[in-house]
Amino acid sequence: MEEISRLPWVEKYRPKSLDEIINQEEVVSSLKNILRTKAVPHMLFAGPPGVGKTATAHAFARDLFGDRYIEDGHFLEINASDERGIQTIREKVKMFARQIPMGGYGFKILFLDESDQLTDDAQHAFRRVMEQFSSTCRFILAANYSNRIIEPIQSRCAVFRFRPLSKADVIKYLKKIVENEGLEADDQALEVIYDFSEGDMRKAINILQASASIAKKIDEKVVYQVMGYVSRGEVRKILELALSGKFADARDEVRRILYVQGIMPSDLISAIYRELFYLDLSEEDKLDLLDLLGEVDYRISEGATPEVQLMAFLARLATKRKR
Amino acid sequence: MAEIWVEKYRPKRVAEVVGNKQSVQAFVEWMRKWELGKPPEKKAVLLYGPAGVGKTSLVLAYAREHGYDVVEVNASDWRDESRMKSIVGESSLQATLDGTTKKIILIDEVDGIAGREDAGGIAALRKIIDETRTPLALIANNPWDPKLASIRDRCLMLEFRRLRKSEVIARLREIAKSEGIQVSDKVLQALAERSEGDLRSAINDFQAITGGRKVVDEKVLEVLGTRNRVKQIFDALRMVFNAKSIRAARAALEGLEVDLDMVYVWLLDNAPQQIPDPEDFADAMEALARADVFLARVNKKQQWRLIRYAVPIMTGGVAVSRRHKPSGFVKFAFPSRIRLMQQTSREREVRKSIAAKIAGKLHLSTAKAMAHMLPYISFIASNNPEEGKKLAEYFELTASELAYLSGGKVEKEKAKAAAKPARRTRRRRR
Repeated sequence: MEEISRLPWVEKYRPKSLDEIINQEEVVSSLKNILRTKAVPHMLFAGPPGVGKTATAHAFARDLFGDRYIEDGHFLEINASDERGIQTIREKVKMFARQIPMGGYGFKILFLDESDQLTDDAQHAFRRVMEQFSSTCRFILAANYSNRIIEPIQSRCAVFRFRPLSKADVIKYLKKIVENEGLEADDQALEVIYDFSEGDMRKAINILQASASIAKKIDEKVVYQVMGYVSRGEVRKILELALSGKFADARDEVRRILYVQGIMPSDLISAIYRELFYLDLSEEDKLDLLDLLGEVDYRISEGATPEVQLMAFLARLATKRKR
Repeated sequence: MAEIWVEKYRPKRVAEVVGNKQSVQAFVEWMRKWELGKPPEKKAVLLYGPAGVGKTSLVLAYAREHGYDVVEVNASDWRDESRMKSIVGESSLQATLDGTTKKIILIDEVDGIAGREDAGGIAALRKIIDETRTPLALIANNPWDPKLASIRDRCLMLEFRRLRKSEVIARLREIAKSEGIQVSDKVLQALAERSEGDLRSAINDFQAITGGRKVVDEKVLEVLGTRNRVKQIFDALRMVFNAKSIRAARAALEGLEVDLDMVYVWLLDNAPQQIPDPEDFADAMEALARADVFLARVNKKQQWRLIRYAVPIMTGGVAVSRRHKPSGFVKFAFPSRIRLMQQTSREREVRKSIAAKIAGKLHLSTAKAMAHMLPYISFIASNNPEEGKKLAEYFELTASELAYLSGGKVEKEKAKAAAKPARRTRRRRR
């Protein structure tokens, strides 16, 4: 068991079978039906991060092919965010899809995670691969935004929508971990963890594990200490810099966060969104800025450069006067 | 802040205008006829030739020396016949008979108004030339544009040529002397050569490479020699930020041997210094952001056609937004984004390597591993070394990668721990 204790908790407490998936009852019961009939369609798992899409794909494959689903070559996972070009589809995907399935299952499963990160070209190539090899390979795609998947792919998939996790779900799961690890955590601490996690179970578990690394009794203060380290109040600082006319400093900080720390633009925007309501500005100005932030958010989702769009936002922020 | 030299050293008297002596002389004689109350047969003069050779400077110097007011109009100020008439027409008809105020009307970029959107502008100008009671000085780079044919006949045509190298050098030497700058002939020679007879760009380059120093040695030449592209981009930036029309701003990129992304980042990172007014700046950044949207569409959908919107929006947007200029000359600077990327390349490499290892174990993309896992693992590693070590083993991190992750704490608590001997600081980020 020594080996197990070394595992990062997100891995250690990852659901292993469909029965362990929480809060996605409709999805799970449909998938169980599919397992019974063994008529597996191409599938698209859509939903926010940290609600169990990847875990469900693995659990489904394990329930279908058994524990050695990966080792025996029944299942391949590709993350489109790392390999988003058409080359991946032409080589890696095709190579796997065309191999004859083993063990009498009749097909294999290729899991394409973060598939909304594929370029348009790659998606079109992928669509052809789906048709060409559907007799030997089934595809499961996971995506945060199904609208970024081209229509022809969506129409070839059974689409499963994953619900955001409720507060009760997250806290219940955290409690299970707390107990299992021999820790103590008060209710308030768990609620704060949930607030920070925004329903993303991966984040919630990470916060819990980081908290546990400094205290066996976890209270609110411990959680704040972790989050103080992780987010470092940088977003607030950026906004304050822009407001006090130090645009170049704000810009450099944005770049550091995006390019060095590797924070995701969507996370940065969400953090700005949260802070915006508390800035020392008139309500009219906040409304203006909210409107612009929404525009910036949309443009980025359409492929614009996050850094540049955020700068346009900060430059506008700099024209506003503190109350 | 230093004054911009091209303004500071603009000739104050006609005698100071460098080069093109014949045309200068002809202009003076033409003006003398107005002065004597006997307007010349041709009521307008068209000064034409390449940029930076003294066309505008001559008119301004003459006006200053002889007490004329200059009514200046350029292509961006007028669009059509009615505006043309209201601005230029009125001025030209207000006779200066009483002799109290003498006026010259200066119309810059005449070849720039010949476009479709200035419908009637040229016709109106022709009429104004016929009726004017005030000297009219027109300026153009290319006077042979067919649309200007009807105007050409009515103008005294004065050609301005590229300045001779010796003329450029002589002027630079005067400036150096006046600024108290020690500079060798070799440097001046190189600047003159580069300017190709454009004195304005030579003076701008001189000011840029001098950068406030009092001794400019030949090392600067090496920089110029190997940074031909940088020099080119300086010119383009200067043109973009000072352009008076979108067309002129767009034209700044023509023939530039630097790719568009590079130009973009130079514009982006120089905008804060070049555009001091917050409202202007916000508008400029929005224009750059809009251009970015078009460039994204170009890349995503391979719609190359859309580049033609991105370029004028990014260049013209910056120029149009810049309604207020800095009070002095502000040097163009190497983009700070590129510098940041260079400075942090080692750190980014380490983080990427760690993230890739985490990603491989946890069914995540590298990007997500970096954003959503690395900070927590770093927290654990820096606060609980034992746990950190176990995680490092699990993820197969190297010793230096673990040290980097643990180092986050050292950096953060540096301030607090400053009094204590910094035992571990040296290991940080290595």
